[in-house]
Formats: sequence, C-alpha cells, structure tokens
Amino acid sequence: MFRQGDVLIVPMAEEAVPGHLREAPGEPRDARGRMVLALGEVSGHAHALTAPGRLLRSDPSVRLLHLPEGGRLVHEEHAPIVLPKGWYRVVRQREYTPGAVRIVAD
Amino acid sequence: MPDIDAWRAVAAATGPADRAAADTAVRQAYRLAGLAEPTRFVWADSPLSGVLALADLEAPGRSVREDIRTRPWAAERRRVHDELGPAGWTERWHATGAHLWDTTRMLTDRLRAGVVAAMLESPRYADADATVAEAEVRGLLLDAVLGQHEAPWLAAFDDRAGQLAGLAAVARATGWWWPFEHAVVLCERPSRLLRDEAGRLHAADGPAVLFPDGFALHAWHGMSVPTDFLTELPSLTPARIRDEENAELRRVLLEHYGYDRYLAESGAQPVHRDETGILWRIPMPDDEDVVMVEVVNSTPEPDGTHHTYWLRVPPGTETARAGVAWTFDLAAEDYAPMKQT
Repeated sequence: MFRQGDVLIVPMAEEAVPGHLREAPGEPRDARGRMVLALGEVSGHAHALTAPGRLLRSDPSVRLLHLPEGGRLVHEEHAPIVLPKGWYRVVRQREYTPGAVRIVAD
Repeated sequence: MPDIDAWRAVAAATGPADRAAADTAVRQAYRLAGLAEPTRFVWADSPLSGVLALADLEAPGRSVREDIRTRPWAAERRRVHDELGPAGWTERWHATGAHLWDTTRMLTDRLRAGVVAAMLESPRYADADATVAEAEVRGLLLDAVLGQHEAPWLAAFDDRAGQLAGLAAVARATGWWWPFEHAVVLCERPSRLLRDEAGRLHAADGPAVLFPDGFALHAWHGMSVPTDFLTELPSLTPARIRDEENAELRRVLLEHYGYDRYLAESGAQPVHRDETGILWRIPMPDDEDVVMVEVVNSTPEPDGTHHTYWLRVPPGTETARAGVAWTFDLAAEDYAPMKQT
C-alpha cells in the first residue's frame, strides 16, 4: 500500500479483479500520454504515470490500475513512488463535512 | 481527441470578452442553425446586467436557443455516440467533459442563484410576489446559452468543424448569451474568479466572483457567505467563533482562523496519537463535535519543513489511525502504507 498525498494505491490480487475488467481497454490517456489517477481541478497538478498499463473504472467511485511492468507515480509537489508490477485499487482521500463527504485535493 | 486543458482554460477564463470574435462566432452559429443572422448585438457587463437588458430589448423576436444550442448539441452527441458506441462514448466523456462538469456546474448554479437574489432586491420587483418574480427570473436564465460555461460539453466533441463550431467559438470569446431571432444579448466574463484546489468558489479577501459592473459572489470553500462576513475575518477571536450561532458560518470561521490556532488557544488536548498522526476533538455548542486528524506530509516543502494538514473525520472516530484510514475509506486495521510521499 502506497500513499502519495491524497491518493492511496492499494495492491490487489489479480484473482480479485472482476473478470470483465481483466482484458478491458483502459481509460484514454491524457494529451501527454499519462494515466492520471487524480487531478487538481484548478492547479492541473496530477498524480500520474506514463508506464505501460491501464486505468479502469470498476464503479463510479473505484478505479483499478494495472501495471504489467511496474511504473513510477509522479506529482508536482510530492516525491515519486516506484510501484512494482501488478494490480492496484486507487483511492482518493476524502474529508468529513457534516451532512456530506468531500474529496480532498492537494 | 479534444484538448481538455484548453477547455479547462475556457471555462475558467476571466477578463474582457473578445467582442469581435464573439460577433463573428454568433453569426456563424446562426448560419449553422439555418437562421438569418441577428441584426442587433447588445453587450452587458454581467449575467445580472444581461437579464436586465433582456427586458429593454425591443422586438427581439422569439428565443432561438433550441435552434442554436439544443438541437445541434443533440445531433452532435448522437453522431459521436454512434461513432464510438455506448462504451466509447462513456469513455470519451470520462476523459473530457466529466473533468469540468462538477466545478462548472457549481459555478453556473451559484451565478443563477446570485442573479435571482439580486433581481428580487431590485426596484423592478419591489412590489412583486417573490415566488412569481423568482419563477420569471429563472425562466429568463433558462433561455441563456452559457458561453464559456458550455465548456464541459464542448470538451467532449471535436468541434472545430461541424454544427458546434459557432457555439464553440462563442464559448472561447465570451460568457453567457441570449439568442433571439433578431437580437442577441452577450455578457462579459468575470473580471475575477477565485477557487480553492477542489474547484469550489473561495476567496478570503473579497468576492470569489466579480464582474466588471460590480455583480459579485462571496464564498468560502464553496459555501455562500454574506458580503460583510469576510471583512471581520482578520479580527476573529476564539470567543467570537464559539458565539456564532449559525453552525455553517461557525465552521467557516473556524477554518479561516485555523484549526491549529484554535486548538492551541482554546487549550484543546489531543485525544489520541500514533504513527499515522494526531486526533483532535473540539466540542461545539449545539453542533456535533469537530474531530480532526492532524497529518504530516512526508515530502518536505522547498524550505525543508513538513506541511501539516488537518482533515475532518466523522465525530465518532476514536484513534488517529482510524481517522486517517476513514479518509481513504478503509478500516483502521487495513491502513498500512509501506511508503508515503
């Protein structure tokens, strides 16, 4: 399990990946060819990887990341993290507000 | 693939409209919709002035919003949908418009609410029934094409050619506009637009949104606040914060004052401490306790210090680890990062 600022990357067993997602095409990469795990809407700062692999949405709030060769997660304000090859669940940090929960953005 | 960063910039653009470009683009939008070009162009300095200008238009003809925006947009959406298939369309939307949707909609909702509130206070509606007046203003606002704030949808299409070219060119040039058969009312963009990192309207030293005519919205992390509320922020005291009766405003005061400062000056004690951070609790009169985890960023700032931040967690949280784990939707025992930056 790895944390880069407001994003948590949780390793998962390949067997735990829903079957229909194992071979599904990933979300399109951004204009710079990156898989963007989270984006600061105003600053444009991003938790992103350029490694081979796919980013998949399993339901509206959960995204899965497949890195067949591993990769380097970078962000403008945080030190990079080297991720070993494998499957991951990507979790965005949130904050409690009375009556609602809001996403944290750094 | 459309350029999402360019559309992000369009949605957030401030400063004077490119009136010549807007004029050309509006004419193009009319031609593409199979309509005769409008003969009168009226400029307004904000959406509020725009609504006021609508009433003064002489014989503008019917609203042509359907022809200009709704129909070409629906046709283009159908075309792209057919081309990419349902899954491809969903993917396209997630990669483009979805990124801008929430922040832009928050802004347009607030602008509409601000226009309605200002109109209800204007002499025009001094003697009117508030419900009727509000319905009337909201009706006028529904006829607007949102210019730069159409960016989320436009971002999902490749608009350089085709039915949306005029609409997209107006979006790049200016703010909201009202198309009628013979006349057009166009609004300037905001001269100031300030948001926090989560994209919510936010400013501590004045309006979060300001238009050239003075029409303004004040907000604290997305929450609408009274105009004079911000002027007292520099002189806050813990006592003033405790005495604020409106729980929402009290949260804003506390956030501005700084949880750390309030904790220090109110003599609060940490409830729990472990390797993930520190858990704090501040009792609030007539409101649920504020419970926060204090977390240290592992990556040092450029000056070598470590940035500390506070995240509010549910009031029932009992340990720092449980609090941090909650922010990632995990149980305390499941939270164990082996590396963090």
